[in-house]
Amino acid sequence: MGLLLALLIACLVAVARAQPRPVPIRVLMPASFADATAEQVRDFNQSQGRLRIKVARGPVDTDAMADLAISSLLLGDTPYDAMLVDISQLTKFVAADWLEPLEGWFGNDYFEAMVPGARLGNASDGHIWRLPFTADIGLLYWRTDLMEQPPQTPEQLVVMSRDLQRQGKVRWGYIWQGRQYEGLSCVVLETLDAFGARWWRPAATAPAVDPATGGAAAMRETGSTQLDSPAAERAAAWLDKLVTTGITPEAVANYAEAEALGTFAAGDAALMRNWPYAWRELERMGSPVVGKVGVTTVVGRPGQQGSGTLGSWGLSMLAGGPHPTETAEVIRWFSGPEFQRRMAVSAGYPPTWESLYEDEELRRQVPLLAVERQALQNPVERPPTPLYAQLSDVVQRQVNGMLTRHGDPGTSMARAQRQSELVLRSAAGTPQEVP
Amino acid sequence: MSGINALLMLPALLLLAATFLLPMVRYAWMSGHASSVVTGLMAIPNGGANWQRLLQDARFWQDAFQTLRFAITSVGLELVLGLSIALLLHQPRRGRGLLRAITLLPWALPTTVMALGWRWILNDPHGPINALIIRLGGDSYGFLITPSTTWLFTVLADVWKTTPFVALLLLAGLQSIPTDMVEALTLEGASRWQILRRLTLPLLMPFITLALLFRLAQALGVFDLIQILTRGGPAGSTESLAFYAYLNAMRFLDFGYSATVMLATFALLVLLSLGWILLQRVGSRRTA
Repeated sequence: MGLLLALLIACLVAVARAQPRPVPIRVLMPASFADATAEQVRDFNQSQGRLRIKVARGPVDTDAMADLAISSLLLGDTPYDAMLVDISQLTKFVAADWLEPLEGWFGNDYFEAMVPGARLGNASDGHIWRLPFTADIGLLYWRTDLMEQPPQTPEQLVVMSRDLQRQGKVRWGYIWQGRQYEGLSCVVLETLDAFGARWWRPAATAPAVDPATGGAAAMRETGSTQLDSPAAERAAAWLDKLVTTGITPEAVANYAEAEALGTFAAGDAALMRNWPYAWRELERMGSPVVGKVGVTTVVGRPGQQGSGTLGSWGLSMLAGGPHPTETAEVIRWFSGPEFQRRMAVSAGYPPTWESLYEDEELRRQVPLLAVERQALQNPVERPPTPLYAQLSDVVQRQVNGMLTRHGDPGTSMARAQRQSELVLRSAAGTPQEVP
Repeated sequence: MSGINALLMLPALLLLAATFLLPMVRYAWMSGHASSVVTGLMAIPNGGANWQRLLQDARFWQDAFQTLRFAITSVGLELVLGLSIALLLHQPRRGRGLLRAITLLPWALPTTVMALGWRWILNDPHGPINALIIRLGGDSYGFLITPSTTWLFTVLADVWKTTPFVALLLLAGLQSIPTDMVEALTLEGASRWQILRRLTLPLLMPFITLALLFRLAQALGVFDLIQILTRGGPAGSTESLAFYAYLNAMRFLDFGYSATVMLATFALLVLLSLGWILLQRVGSRRTA
């Protein structure tokens, strides 16, 4: 009997050895993305036995997600092979040397077939650091039952909103994100662009590469902020005036995407600035305005298409993982057209591949594709500097302060500029070295 | 004899130095360097630029003010409330043990859990307080989104949690006061108030100082409560120095400046503690 048992165990061990165990690839993403991709990941894991994707659910909030990732990365030994990185965080992670360059697996022309907006923000210093799986962009939602055409410039927006409010057709004119968080920086970026102002001027010269570190980001100065220009002040004054004249509620100072969407969905606003996901949400919430909503590009300079803030997410490989080749394979699958198609249909995430935007079937299922493609031709990028988190924090505090009556537009922007200069100077080493 | 004393103390001193002094030295070293994403996280000497920045950094000074405001208000309230509770608990009566255990409950709760609880209690408009206000016919109040008053609610949460700690310390002090002294004073015809002022408080002073220093150190380094309850908002009105140092290190990856903020906070704590001790010296000399 004992002999039989021993034989059985030996057989089992041999069988287990003969079948290679799947390589586990651990991917960290915000819980919202983990939920949206769960079904596809399950299908992928069942379709083959070589790789097994294990998704770790991170915080939904972009900043909290980055904090979590950084805590594990600082320890030098991260438990993840890949993570989903927001476009505004990428340069920081690259500068900290936490990511693995991807061009060895994908080549430098992998992005050629993507829409222009999706090609931005994935590469720097001649390396590819990320494959985008969705290309988010700021859009303007408007009520087709209240106006014939959406406004195209900031001035038009004010005039049309006021008219509608005066006629008593709607409570608020324009709703956006004014809370002290990253979403406010996106609004500011778009508004600056609409007034011909710029947040960031890149340095004329290419970043210096330190031979000692083999190209790591040593002591580089990549540009300067221009927040106190007359045009920038006009942009801030416009936002301020929206609130003081009652086109936008004062409560906007505590509005993130969800609050803005709630107000718009309730039919209380004629216009809303939001991301593409809001379209599906309106339908899901069963909002009374469904069927009366149009989507277009954000307001811009007269005669030009407005530029929405680019907000794409993509997968990066973390440096020093045990299975780089398998991780690259998983990243390729996540950014591939089949995956993106299902994401677009199920969760409304805009794809990155040009071919998907031309796909008749998909265009029927995702009505927003046409306007997304149009907006992605001409997006505006957040300052691509590793110091962006600080610069954005400065702008958020100052503009939110302006919205809560702690400073007029001129002083708020001047303060933002002064504090940004301070950040750039001290982070870059001795103050004298920086022009 | 003193040589042996010093030798015997050496291991403890070494341990203290390794756990407290070394990090301080490291901070001091870091604060003289640029170590951020711009330098690829390498430390490069920057000739005091971090300290220059600190002096010009309006946000640092605003946070310093807010941290002091928080620490002084909450520690002050905790001392007053803690002393009252300690005096009550010191009265001999039945069920004293149970009462003491109940008083300690808030202190036993982890800060994160407690802060989440307060965030819900203060929620606008769904929290229980606002629900009550609305039921009574009022408008819901943005407890956590009104820059001028939100800090008061961080104080409230802190006082609620840490008053038991102060009460416990002071209760231990009360129990160390010999009862025959109280009896002697009572026989002499001293009123309760006189006993409290002339006997209890002076003898309790070392315990009050201990509680104050403990709590001041904790309150000046407040982080977890802020992180959960307000994240430094609204409009940065509840941001503490520790939270700012955390942001600099973890979110901005600017370790040089973060170390500078930490050191400055530490200096602030030392100054305040010295001030209190000095104040006491002067006070005791006057009464002597």
